[in-house]
Amino acid sequence: MILHLALLVGLVLFSVLAILARDLIKSAICLAAASLLLGIIFFRMGAPYAGVFEISVVAGLITVLFILTIALTKTEGDVRESKLVRMVFPLFFVIFALIDALVMKGLLAKIPMLESAARGGTFSDVLWRERTFDLVGQIAVILAGVFAVLALFRKRDPHD
Amino acid sequence: MTDAWIVSIAFAAALVVVGLYGLLTMRNLIKLFIGIEVVAKGVSLILLSAGWARGNVLVAQSLVVTFIVIEVALVATALALIINITRKTKSLDVRKLARLKG
Repeated sequence: MILHLALLVGLVLFSVLAILARDLIKSAICLAAASLLLGIIFFRMGAPYAGVFEISVVAGLITVLFILTIALTKTEGDVRESKLVRMVFPLFFVIFALIDALVMKGLLAKIPMLESAARGGTFSDVLWRERTFDLVGQIAVILAGVFAVLALFRKRDPHD
Repeated sequence: MTDAWIVSIAFAAALVVVGLYGLLTMRNLIKLFIGIEVVAKGVSLILLSAGWARGNVLVAQSLVVTFIVIEVALVATALALIINITRKTKSLDVRKLARLKG
């Protein structure tokens, strides 16, 4: 339980650093560290495939995409954030954490849960047999992403 | 260990709120997108914690994998959009996008 709690605290800490850091590269690296911790949490919850996806895709690929974008847009100069943002954040976060700690347990007890029994089998059984339509959706989403990027970086036709 | 899932969901709510704070207050387009990523992390943690609480980690895991794939497609498209916007407006400031006049 203590390790689980430490991982969760680290996850929130790195996410806060990713939001508040001045340097964009540092933000991207903090986000990757948060993804790494989330992947470890997934492993500990008994979801190794989700953990592998989180670490390899989110901590790896998305960080590379972020750093590439930061490098491509670096020449455009820095955007000044409001100073109030960093000053107000601790107060805002402490108030939220208090409300969260006081209310969350009672709130979750009030939400009715749907009937469901513990499921046996393996992950591949669930993914390939029961959630087959999700896989079709995933393929469609990936294709949509590829075509969107292709459309956005299309070269202008000289005849236009 | 019985209450571990409640703790996980409480922390996931904190992640969502931190991400929303970033979305509401930041001006840099890339920072805004980092806020969206933090919200997405919170949502995937909630999905898996809910499955963990009910003993149905397998279904929750397949949902999280689907969510991660959607997240990657979203990030690729949005970052391409950000690069195009920056080329046009010569700035990463989101306030410059408010001027929609051609």
